[in-house]
Amino acid sequence: MRVPLRHKQHHLTVELRPAGGTFHVTVDQSEHIVETQVLDASTVVISIDGRRVRAHIARDGHQRFVAVNGAVFAFAFEPGSAATHDVGSTASPEIVAPMPGKVLQVLAAVGQHVDMGDGLLILEAMKMESRLSADAAGTVRDVRVQPGDMVDGGQVLVVLEYDPA
Amino acid sequence: MFRRVLIANRGEIAVRLIRACQELGIATVAVHSEADAAAPHAVLADHAVCIGPAPATESYLDIPRLIEAARATGADAIHPGYGFLAENAGFARAAIDAGLTFIGPRPDAIAAMGDKIAARRRVAAAGVPVVPAVEDVADAAAAAAAVAQVGFPLLIKAAAGGGGKGMRVVRRPDELDDAFAAAGREAGAAFANSRLFLERYLERPRHVEIQVLADHHGHIVHLGERECSVQRRHQKIIEESPSPALTPALRDRMAAAAMLAAQTVDYVNAGTVEFLLEPGGQFYFLEMNTRLQVEHPVTELVTGIDMVHAQLRVAAGEPLWLTQADIHPTGHAIECRVYAEDPAQRFLPSPGTILQLREPHGPGIRVDSGVRQGFSVPVHYDPLLAKVAAWSDTRETARHRLVRALRDYVVLGCTTNVAFLIDVLEHPAFAAGDTHTHFVDAHFPAWQGRTDDRLVAAIVAALDIARTHRTGPSRPDQLAEASPWVTLGTWRLSHGSQG
Repeated sequence: MRVPLRHKQHHLTVELRPAGGTFHVTVDQSEHIVETQVLDASTVVISIDGRRVRAHIARDGHQRFVAVNGAVFAFAFEPGSAATHDVGSTASPEIVAPMPGKVLQVLAAVGQHVDMGDGLLILEAMKMESRLSADAAGTVRDVRVQPGDMVDGGQVLVVLEYDPA
Repeated sequence: MFRRVLIANRGEIAVRLIRACQELGIATVAVHSEADAAAPHAVLADHAVCIGPAPATESYLDIPRLIEAARATGADAIHPGYGFLAENAGFARAAIDAGLTFIGPRPDAIAAMGDKIAARRRVAAAGVPVVPAVEDVADAAAAAAAVAQVGFPLLIKAAAGGGGKGMRVVRRPDELDDAFAAAGREAGAAFANSRLFLERYLERPRHVEIQVLADHHGHIVHLGERECSVQRRHQKIIEESPSPALTPALRDRMAAAAMLAAQTVDYVNAGTVEFLLEPGGQFYFLEMNTRLQVEHPVTELVTGIDMVHAQLRVAAGEPLWLTQADIHPTGHAIECRVYAEDPAQRFLPSPGTILQLREPHGPGIRVDSGVRQGFSVPVHYDPLLAKVAAWSDTRETARHRLVRALRDYVVLGCTTNVAFLIDVLEHPAFAAGDTHTHFVDAHFPAWQGRTDDRLVAAIVAALDIARTHRTGPSRPDQLAEASPWVTLGTWRLSHGSQG
């Protein structure tokens, strides 16, 4: 079974093959032998190629939160996605709000050309101002908010069309 | 002693204050916004009063509502905690005018130290060293003129408040206008006062602060130092006591300067004098925080003195029960702040609902937490979830203890900085005590987390999804048979998504 996952903007596919009590697992072309020991509904001791760690999991719809060694990773299950391309390098042309907040200033206009790192807008959330910038050079195709707008986390604020590499 | 204390705060510090009152047999009144009705502090106190909607300006910063809540519940004192109104002289005055005891310094001392410009002048006149600065800068044109005196790099700061709000570093002339405008807006929003000042930006200073405690009868002691050099966005994330950089002689000199600074305003109760310390041992007064500090637990762990108990006793008029000779810090304590934020995305806040929470424990571990499982971290306030501190006989064992505790920390539902804190604590420069206020930028310019932990997490997530989703892309039933969670009968029953 192939499980397409997204962690932030990184897509990865985990392929699981049961093999007599253990699993053969392939993640982005690397193969691993995995054994598990379930402790309770949300805790598992997992041994990957002989490295043994305890992991905790929580579920929210298609999301899975996993804690390993204090680190937390949020994965979205994307059953419909192509999910075969290993991204990590391609910047998203959609600039989304990283959290709920208020738009303080819009710095870019439709049709404007921006360079990598140029500010697009300033968002205020949790008492801090943060500047959202272009991940790569491109042209502003759409600006979907105005100063003063309250936005939700994940909401698309600006759409860019990146310059051809 | 007081009969009933109103806690004018939220989060972990409100929990800490309520517990301290309970330990002294004092009844407590919690206040909360509509977003915090089920917050841990609100359910812990003897009484809880809703003081308004979620935005802090309409609740935790609303002085008339807080005073009315105190009056209506029969409280005889108010503890402000830190942040919110803790350094607002008007709030202290309003409390006193309503016949309540404000647990902190007198309003005039708060006002005197709260205006950074006046405070700097005042302590400099008393002989406390200060950083070169231009004090009162009203607009961008004045800022440009001030640059000639201060030079680059320089720091723009809010004249009121602290905690990194309204602060900007400017390294090049063309950055000045934007930085000035943003700092002014942030300062205005956070403190209702947009006055700014510029000062020389020291390149590799340590942040070292001295805890002082003074009573109403003219006695003052210090409880040693805390080093808080590891910061992000100008906000401390790791604090320790003692500082690896201080010799006994330097400690004595800094403590003497701190007490001198406090005495310029006839300071009463617990307060902290912050200094920047340069590699050569020169130190400069930064500001005085006229309240309990976030990082007070490290002082408590090495001195054995409960700072909140001390605040309550001093506020009730008790003369200091300690002389300087009675204070003997022992061992080493390190604290780190656990935030709902993403260190891989410039530490942006990452609020969410806490789906699962397991806080660490064990010998020498202290957790000051303001959340619990099922709680939605509100977007309206500071994203601090908890503080984790470790004490041991040496710095090295305290450091290992804290790393061990953080590895055991499970908080699921929002992104946290725990993995980042572990990496900082394990960095060779931190292990060597070689810290300065730009430590994070210098050593972790583009932190992304450990890929081996991400691999483990991805496999765990995939196994769980294989188990809980009926309609997988291929032969889900067969996979489910062998999936690790399938054997757990009760779990199958309670979640029931797999036939």
